[in-house]
Amino acid sequence: MKVYDQGGSLFWVLLSIAVFFGSLRLGIGTLRNPGTGFLTFGASGILGILSLVLFVQATLRKKVVKREPLFAGKLWQRILLVLIVLTVYSWIMPTLGYLISTFVLMTLLFWVLERKKIWFVLSSSFLTTLITYLVFSKWLNCQFPNGLFGF
Amino acid sequence: MVCSGFEGKVGFLDNILYGFQVTFQPINFLFCGIGVFVGSLVGVLPGIGPAGAMALLLPATYKFSPTSTIILLAGIYYGVQYGGSTTSILINIPGEASSVITCIDGYQMARQGRAGPALGIAAIGSFIAGTIANIGLMFVAVPLSKAALSFGPPEYFALMCTGLLIVTYLAQGSILKAIIMALAGIILGSIGLDAITGLPRFTFGIDELTDGVGIIPLVMGLFGISEILQNLEESLEREVFKAHVKNLWPSLKDWIEAKWAIVRGSLIGFVLGILPGGGAVIATFVSYAVEKKVAKHPERFGKGAIEGVASPESANNAAAGGSLIPLLSLGIPPNPIMAIFFSALIIHGIQPGPLLIKQHPDLFWGLVASLYLGNFLLLILNLPLIGIWVKLLKIPYKLLFPLILLFCLIGAYTLNNLSFDLYVMIFFGVMGWIMRKFGYEAAPLIMAYILGPMLENALRQSLLISGGSFLIFITRPISGIALGFTFLLLLSNIFPYIKKRREEYEKFEE
Repeated sequence: MKVYDQGGSLFWVLLSIAVFFGSLRLGIGTLRNPGTGFLTFGASGILGILSLVLFVQATLRKKVVKREPLFAGKLWQRILLVLIVLTVYSWIMPTLGYLISTFVLMTLLFWVLERKKIWFVLSSSFLTTLITYLVFSKWLNCQFPNGLFGF
Repeated sequence: MVCSGFEGKVGFLDNILYGFQVTFQPINFLFCGIGVFVGSLVGVLPGIGPAGAMALLLPATYKFSPTSTIILLAGIYYGVQYGGSTTSILINIPGEASSVITCIDGYQMARQGRAGPALGIAAIGSFIAGTIANIGLMFVAVPLSKAALSFGPPEYFALMCTGLLIVTYLAQGSILKAIIMALAGIILGSIGLDAITGLPRFTFGIDELTDGVGIIPLVMGLFGISEILQNLEESLEREVFKAHVKNLWPSLKDWIEAKWAIVRGSLIGFVLGILPGGGAVIATFVSYAVEKKVAKHPERFGKGAIEGVASPESANNAAAGGSLIPLLSLGIPPNPIMAIFFSALIIHGIQPGPLLIKQHPDLFWGLVASLYLGNFLLLILNLPLIGIWVKLLKIPYKLLFPLILLFCLIGAYTLNNLSFDLYVMIFFGVMGWIMRKFGYEAAPLIMAYILGPMLENALRQSLLISGGSFLIFITRPISGIALGFTFLLLLSNIFPYIKKRREEYEKFEE
């Protein structure tokens, strides 16, 4: 927990420094006429101070607080795979269209987790894609991209 | 006097009747039914919360009136409070954060073969609490909005500061971390065009950021995606309670034991719902603690005490009603869910605030009447539907998770039809997942993100009015009292810390 808090507080310190100088660049104005960077200047200043307090607190803390490990013993590979699939989906959906990209996405997600027979995965993905398309696009009039092939 | 009181009563009754007239319009009635059904479903399913469900259905409401939209969203919100208890009682997994505490005694009751009365008292308690909160909403929101008409920027600034501090104060973990999250939320909320000068801030040349970071992708990422990622880390197997659910109607003994728990839970939930940062989750914890304290036999708690189910389930529904008050009368959302309501109203061209009730009586009174209707629908629908919810719980999470993920993607995308919102959602999903591991809570960040721009406007306007003097916040009575309260709250937090340090030092000296 100590290392987590130290690492976390350093992240906030870096963020506060970046925002602090960004606010100065935007212009903080005067008290009579506050500028665009006025609030973020103050917020980043306080954030920096509190992050340092957290860092000092964590460093001086003697009591050992047990915390579950970040990755050890976890199925983090599965998370990584899902995140990659989601990012690729977000990237290709406007080009390939909702139907094709969602079918591919659902096939991968069902396959990653369930590992059932391929016909089950494909039919579940097909049905999910079709039903969500009909409900959201046709019934609820949500706009989905048509993509290269026009559907 | 008598005459004006009578006129007041007639006006009040007229308003309620008008509200029912609005609610019973076919489209509003349908939206109320869909809202409570979807809410119950979402409450039953772990992984997709009320925020996700609202975000998902919000784009579909664009062509409907704001009143229908708000009725739908409200239905989802309190429907979730009903549905969340089902999983807590039957499988010891809370469908929602506000049902976590119900697991303790609810699941024990189910193990003792009393799942039926546990589910029954949860539904009936929720109905009673929802009705009490609704009455409270009618009586508090209208005078509060009238009083709020005299509020200026300093008062709003002070109230928002108090709200933000209460959010951080009520955080379950470290207060220091909660304040850090709130400050990060203020910075996040400042991204986009400056409301006063129109200049872009922290947009890094990305066009999509000129409107700021979207609330829906942000909320879905921090709450929905991060929850799914956390579940994915573990094995996705879960136990389903296999016994039949029977005798839903609680016995006379159950009623006697639970009646005051329902009343206390309702009152606690309503009051904590109004407070900024309170909301349904904290209300359940407080009501459970109070119930345990006043019980003649506190040792029964944790072993299947019916009060341990009745009180938190009443509290979360009452809090759902109470939290509408600051939003509708002051224009200040007290929790992240209300922040989505706030965004929905803005999207539909309605500014939440003191003038809302006067300018849009159909929306306010229609919503009030829909709360009565929705509570009634939930009571008559939910008890017979429990069998269906139980069957739904038997669907493996491995199959549900890709569907929930897809719903989140659709909800985030259809808001602006931008892939950029998907990236934002994924990014904040990962951030939320890491934040959970590092002991940071998302609620203060969301609240500050929503209140940040309003806070900034109020601060800058106040300083313009006062010619750069901060005394304006102290010399005006309401802002002075609010800031004084905030200051005391801060001190109450710092003093025990100093005392503890001194004790540690003295111990060390010895």
